[in-house]
Amino acid sequence: MIHSYLMVSVILFCIGMLGVISRRNVFTVFMSIELMLNAANLAFVAFSRLHESMDGHVLALMVMAVAAAEAALALAVVILLHKHKGKLDTNVFSLLKG
Amino acid sequence: MENSATYLMYIPLFPLLGAVIIGLMHVFTCKRPIFEKFYGIIACIGPILSFVLALRVFFNLKGMPEEGRYLIQKAFTWFQVGDLDVAMGFLADPLSSLMLLFVTFIGSLIHIYSIGYMGGEKNYAKFFAYLNLFLGSMLVLVLGDSPVVMFVGWEGVGLCSYLLISFYTTETENVIAGNKAFIVNRIGDLGFVLGMSFLFWAIGAHGFDYMALKANAHHLAPGVALTVCLLLFVGATGKSAQIPLYVWLPDAMAGPTPVSALIHAATMVTAGVYMVARFSFIYAHVPVAGSIVAWVGILTALLAAIFGMFQDDIKKVLAYSTVSQLGYMFAGVGVAAYSAGIFHVFTHAFFKALLFLGAGAVIYAMHHQQNIWKMGGLKKKMPITYYTMVIGALALAGCPFFSGFFSKDEILFMALANGHWGIWLVGVAVAGMTAYYTFRMIFVVFHGEPRDQHAYDHAHEAPLVMTLPLIILAVGALFAGYLNLPAIFGGDQEVTHWLAPVVVEHHPHVSKFVELLAMCASIVAFIIGIRLAWQRFGKGAEEPTFSGFTEFAYHKFYVDELYDSVFVQPYKRIGGAIRNAIEPNVTDAPIKLVSQLYMMVGQAFKVFQVGFVRVYAIYMIVGLSVMSLILSFSLN
Amino acid sequence: MFEHTLSLMIFLPIAAGLILLLTPAGKGIARVTGIAISMAALILGVDVFTKFKPVGELQFTEFIPWFPHVGINYSLGVDGISLFILLAASVLLPLVFLLFTTKEKGYYANLLIVQGAMAGAVCAADIILFYIFWEIMLLPVFFMLGLYGGEKKIAATLKITIYTIAGSLLMLAAIIYLGVAYHSQFGEWNFAISKLTQLDLNGGVATLAFIGFMIAFAIKIPLFPFHTWLPDAYTEAPTATTFVLSAIMAKIGVYAVIRMVVPVFDEDFARFALLLSLSGVFGMMYCGIAAIAQNDIKRMFAFSSASHMGIIALGVFTCNVQGLTGSVYQIIAHATSTGVLFLFAGIIEDRMQTRKIEALGGIAYHAPVFALYFAIALLASVGLPGTSGFIGEFLIILGAVKFSPFIGILAGTTLIIGVCYMLWMFQRVFFEKDNELTVTFKDLTLKEGICFLPVVLLIIVMGLYPQPFIEKIEPAAQIQLAHLADTQHVQVADSVNAQDHGHLLELNK
Repeated sequence: MIHSYLMVSVILFCIGMLGVISRRNVFTVFMSIELMLNAANLAFVAFSRLHESMDGHVLALMVMAVAAAEAALALAVVILLHKHKGKLDTNVFSLLKG
Repeated sequence: MENSATYLMYIPLFPLLGAVIIGLMHVFTCKRPIFEKFYGIIACIGPILSFVLALRVFFNLKGMPEEGRYLIQKAFTWFQVGDLDVAMGFLADPLSSLMLLFVTFIGSLIHIYSIGYMGGEKNYAKFFAYLNLFLGSMLVLVLGDSPVVMFVGWEGVGLCSYLLISFYTTETENVIAGNKAFIVNRIGDLGFVLGMSFLFWAIGAHGFDYMALKANAHHLAPGVALTVCLLLFVGATGKSAQIPLYVWLPDAMAGPTPVSALIHAATMVTAGVYMVARFSFIYAHVPVAGSIVAWVGILTALLAAIFGMFQDDIKKVLAYSTVSQLGYMFAGVGVAAYSAGIFHVFTHAFFKALLFLGAGAVIYAMHHQQNIWKMGGLKKKMPITYYTMVIGALALAGCPFFSGFFSKDEILFMALANGHWGIWLVGVAVAGMTAYYTFRMIFVVFHGEPRDQHAYDHAHEAPLVMTLPLIILAVGALFAGYLNLPAIFGGDQEVTHWLAPVVVEHHPHVSKFVELLAMCASIVAFIIGIRLAWQRFGKGAEEPTFSGFTEFAYHKFYVDELYDSVFVQPYKRIGGAIRNAIEPNVTDAPIKLVSQLYMMVGQAFKVFQVGFVRVYAIYMIVGLSVMSLILSFSLN
Repeated sequence: MFEHTLSLMIFLPIAAGLILLLTPAGKGIARVTGIAISMAALILGVDVFTKFKPVGELQFTEFIPWFPHVGINYSLGVDGISLFILLAASVLLPLVFLLFTTKEKGYYANLLIVQGAMAGAVCAADIILFYIFWEIMLLPVFFMLGLYGGEKKIAATLKITIYTIAGSLLMLAAIIYLGVAYHSQFGEWNFAISKLTQLDLNGGVATLAFIGFMIAFAIKIPLFPFHTWLPDAYTEAPTATTFVLSAIMAKIGVYAVIRMVVPVFDEDFARFALLLSLSGVFGMMYCGIAAIAQNDIKRMFAFSSASHMGIIALGVFTCNVQGLTGSVYQIIAHATSTGVLFLFAGIIEDRMQTRKIEALGGIAYHAPVFALYFAIALLASVGLPGTSGFIGEFLIILGAVKFSPFIGILAGTTLIIGVCYMLWMFQRVFFEKDNELTVTFKDLTLKEGICFLPVVLLIIVMGLYPQPFIEKIEPAAQIQLAHLADTQHVQVADSVNAQDHGHLLELNK
């Protein structure tokens, strides 16, 4: 039973990961990260059910709260980035190139 | 406490206060000078008060029984670390009281003379501040009751000597002469400090003042005693201009003439002799050290006399004669004739100060001309200076019945009596040379025809503030010798008896015949010297040219050049090498290596830093995957 | 005043500095704050000095458990050795704030932080606490040097950073080793310095830890051959930073050796003392000779400072009470002489816009008061009797002669080496003929004159009447050496031993 949940979670996570790696738009990358977080949440809840303890639920709620806070911060950053370069292409932002 | 005297500290304190007062007044009013007239007078107050106190000390001591004849004042604990307990203490005993008397007396006279000599100079106030500071330091040196306190004065006089030699600071060579004096003195001071250190670790644990040291001196092992003696003597060679550290004194003549008279003839340079006499309780135990001191002294006397015979500069002639006479003094203290050595210090102070002040009057009259070959015939123009200087010259040359005769002869006789034949022989030869170069100077300057008519016409006798000290000193130069009249002339050697409780010496019995013979030898040497000088220079002579040995001697055996190329230049070159080669290439190497290593590693990793966020994400994923793979394998 | 004087001395400046950094205060406010806070620290410091009793134990102790389960505590205290560095930090810092007005807010804030951290480092009685303050103390220096330094500031900052970080890491490793060793020997965690001295450390890893400590402190002092960061850093740093570095911070290195290395690693210390003292003496000679070739007045003083530090460090390595007391005394004497000379060099640079010695000359004619002050500081730095420099130098040479006559003779050459470069520099800067640049030299203003007067007077007072200082140092020095006395390599000079020594000499006859 738990396996199907975990499978969904893994698939979700991989989609998110692929999104982060392959997409160039900052928003898409950001949404992919959200997808990865939700994959983790799904796993948490599934395990919570399996072990019949509420710890997983608490953590899932915690992740959601963090994700919300992160979204607020990240959107602000995205706006600043847009102001700075006028584009939202991640390839434009390569200041860390060695 | 019948031996404590609370007024001792005021003896150095008065001149020191004078220095501080003059210095402060000068600093605050140097923009608008209003006290210029008074500095000289203020400066004279301190030394005169000290002289009065010195007299009080002397008479106090005189009234005491001979064995307990000392006054002591421990003003406060200076520093106390472990066993080392040094008090800021002052000790007046027969030895220091004798030094006190003539230092304050001659010091006062020279202060008075300076009012005239330095009149109208730009740095009038500074000069008197330094002079007062010097006298204060000198009195600390004389009165210090432990080697450490003595060292305060010892370095203090060195500082003042530096300041006064480089007094005319705009001229580079004066400042260099000052530096030289200070640095060479410092080399000597190193010996002094090390000597003190060795002495302390040997016997200083039970008190480091002279009383305690003297009481414990018998605990000294001969090896340590010899080390201490030699190290202290290194200090003495620095301060008292002996081989090999004599080179600074002739250059020190760059200072104003009263300074040469006070510091570089009468007082400071004799500090080394005083110090050896102070430590006679150690030197007496190690005759080897004494012999070394005596030989260094007499050889210095010889060398300086040779140089003195070829100098052009009136002050340099006197400077080398000072070095030479200091050599005699060391010969004296070296052969354990401490009282004779100190007595020569005493008489020398009078006649050499007199000669320098006379030379100063001549230089003053000739508008700062110092070359004797530009002078001549000044006898008519400056009679007082002439006659007083002749008295001084006779005393220096050792003319019978002048002060120098008694003291020098005492030294030579003691050398002979203690079995130092060589020293006696060299000493007699030097006596002849002394007579020669002294009267060479007198004859060239005062006799014959004027060589520079213009300067001659403007020459005039010095004012009373300058001639009065000359006359007083001339009286001293005439009669100071009678204070220690030897038994052969019906005296009873007052000074020797006075010093007997302090210095450790014994008087061998020698027949009257030998004593007379020795005396005759000195007199013959004196006559030969003066006769030669008269023949060559008595009736006017032209400036000689030098060749061969005389040229070598004229250039002072190129010792200065030797020292320069052996010590000074290599020192500077090593410094330059460190700056230009070693610092950037050797000591900086490790740090350069580290930074280069970092750079190389950085270059290597640069390839991975593409700057795209998603590439970093791939790195992360790959890394995590590898880690979890390893983890899963290792768990199985 | 009250029981938390030391904490106040530490945290008042640090807090003020942080507040300055975080608020948009201007540089005027920053400077006024600096003056006020440093004056407060000065008053507290004087208060500590007057209430200090001349006994060897720690006084003004404070103790607050911090991480009690691993034995790390907030514990402070001063003894005769730390007292004088604390005093130097609190007496001299107001000068800097009063005299140098040109810098920005961040500069004053950093100075305040460094002042507090230095006080913390010398007061800390717990080795971890010491380490923390030691690191805090280094940070502002990087900023002051890197942000406000001269032309080659980046290179200089990089150099000092690499050196000090390397030293700190070695020290941290050594500290952890000490903690572990204490745990294994006594079964509990403790990092109090007084506890660590009970450790029985022998060979092997302990020697490595000793070397780690010594390298950390040798870099800070600096001992030859770890001195190469010094000339660059001292030359490029702003005047006040150079002053802080040379007058106080370098001394904390010596202090740390006395406080930590001597009692904790007594055996290793005694074993390496000869090597270390050779390093001190050689560094003294090397830097002294290097100083004569410098054209830059500040760089010359930098080498001179390094040269003096060699002698000060030597005093510690002589392992006897005279040498150690002399070192501690020389620490404060050096702060008031060479430290102040750096300030004077800063004044020359401010007025002449150059530090090149050959560009100067004849300043004494235009600035007699400045020349007088400078000369007094210079004479103290060459150790003339009657100034503070002599007492320390004499005691150190005395101690060195006892330790080894050979080292003593080498140490004595400091008397000669010092005057050579100092007099030559003085000649070329203050004497000789003036030029069109130096005729414009303005003498010290009234404010400057009054600010420097206490320091100049202190130089003379400490030379003429050092006993009130020495009686506070000596008991502490005795206690530090008491640990060494147990080891057979070294004999502490107490009267009994000296007597034995005398008898030995007699036997040698």
